Amino acid sequence: MSEKQEEMSLDKRLALVSFNKDPEPFIEVDTKLCQKCEKKPCLYICPAQVYSWQDQLNYNTEGCMETGACLIVCHKIGAKAISWKYPSGGKGVSFKLG
Amino acid sequence: MSLEGFEVAVVGAGPAGSAAALTLAREGVQVLLVERGTFPGSKNVFGGRIYSYALKRLLGDRWKDAPVERFVRKEGITFMTADSSFSIEYESKDPTGSFTSIRAKFDKWLAEQAEKAGASLITDSRVDDLVIEGGRVKGIIAGQDKIPTDAVIACDGTTTSLARRAGLATMLEPEEVSMGMKDVVELSAERIEERFGLEPGEGAAHVFVGDCSGGLRGGGFLYTNKDSLALGMVVGADDTSTKAVPSHTFMDRLRNHRRVQRLIRDGKTIEYDAHMIPEAGPKMLTRPYTGGMLVAGDAAGHLLNNGYTFRGVDMAIVSGIAAAHTILEARKRKDYSAQSLQTYERKLREEPALKDMYTFSKVPRYLRNNRLYNVYPDLVCNAAEAVYHVDGNGKRKIYKELRAQTKGKVSTMSLIRDLLAGARTF
Repeated sequence: MSEKQEEMSLDKRLALVSFNKDPEPFIEVDTKLCQKCEKKPCLYICPAQVYSWQDQLNYNTEGCMETGACLIVCHKIGAKAISWKYPSGGKGVSFKLG
Repeated sequence: MSLEGFEVAVVGAGPAGSAAALTLAREGVQVLLVERGTFPGSKNVFGGRIYSYALKRLLGDRWKDAPVERFVRKEGITFMTADSSFSIEYESKDPTGSFTSIRAKFDKWLAEQAEKAGASLITDSRVDDLVIEGGRVKGIIAGQDKIPTDAVIACDGTTTSLARRAGLATMLEPEEVSMGMKDVVELSAERIEERFGLEPGEGAAHVFVGDCSGGLRGGGFLYTNKDSLALGMVVGADDTSTKAVPSHTFMDRLRNHRRVQRLIRDGKTIEYDAHMIPEAGPKMLTRPYTGGMLVAGDAAGHLLNNGYTFRGVDMAIVSGIAAAHTILEARKRKDYSAQSLQTYERKLREEPALKDMYTFSKVPRYLRNNRLYNVYPDLVCNAAEAVYHVDGNGKRKIYKELRAQTKGKVSTMSLIRDLLAGARTF
């Protein structure tokens, strides 16, 4: 293959997206419930990996691309721990080429 | 801007919202169009293509001013295994039937058309709640502002908190939604035209099925913009999350396939986008109207993936127009009750473009058959290998070869069942 093949990673991808941080918490997780969650679907559905697991559920709303899919899988497959709404007006992700 | 005196509030300045607001404003209705992003389109993502008819219907000849990237002339599909691929390409005789676009440009432009017609647009505003009085929607609440209106049109996208707030929807099931992701890869116009065999200004649309989704429900897509490629994956939310495969990894699976590598070679990725896609169709709502409110676009499930065409923006525009017409009639009657607004549902069913959703209503269930992703693409490629590959060890006739390929992978019964169901579904 050509040497001009670009190597991508999620970090590289997320660095290409513009975010305007919302000081208000628009995602809140009752992480106690996650301890008993068997499938932890949020870890896999999120295209920005907002959720990660290290002994407990950690989440960083700053990279949230606002798909809202975590809410659905958490409530239908997971432990019903996530509450999620869109960030405040004008905050959050901004796509230029969507 | 004073937030008093509006007859209708349209929530969400995507294609459905702007089409509704434009249609209403043209008839002299005082309409407020509310957008949570800093500009219309800034929160929106799609694969890449808009079917022109809807825009013609909304704007007449002025549709030609739309921010078109390329008119799609070539349609293609590739079935892929890890190390082989089988592609079909069709070149359409219609030079302007559909076009690729970028939502940050297109949605912004469409909202501007609504503004020109007299609609008032406010951005940076998240609608938090509805004003509900006596079981009827009587306005919207955005932050500190309570905005009373005669009617609301909710075009607030897949997650539609407003339809749920009004009791028209419950939370969607994971198998009713997909995760869509895309990389926008910068590549010069000349390279694109050379690589895809296009004349200047012409574009290509391509679908990938098989190895890229690792056997899960989903597939890849590629659309050519002016000087970039929109390359993405769509995967079922249930599949990716229960089988514990991080959704973004499918992007690399697609990109690293040799068939795709050659298409994006020397390109530079300049943005990564993601969006949730509702796949349930209109049944995601118990009904698309209630007293004082209509729902249109993604929020009402007005989009169609029948496996070979992916339609959202055209359906959104058409449903936005239908919603506006319903409001105009109700306005004449001075009656925005649920009973008065129920003509909306009939309009949707009679609208030829939206009828396609009902014609193909069994498709989502058919597409949940995982053999489509983990058996048949392999079958197609292996059969092609058997047909074209000559190694001097003797060849079987094609039919015998096909029979041999299916052995152990899919039973004859399943194959026949899938074929018959396919014939009935599509």
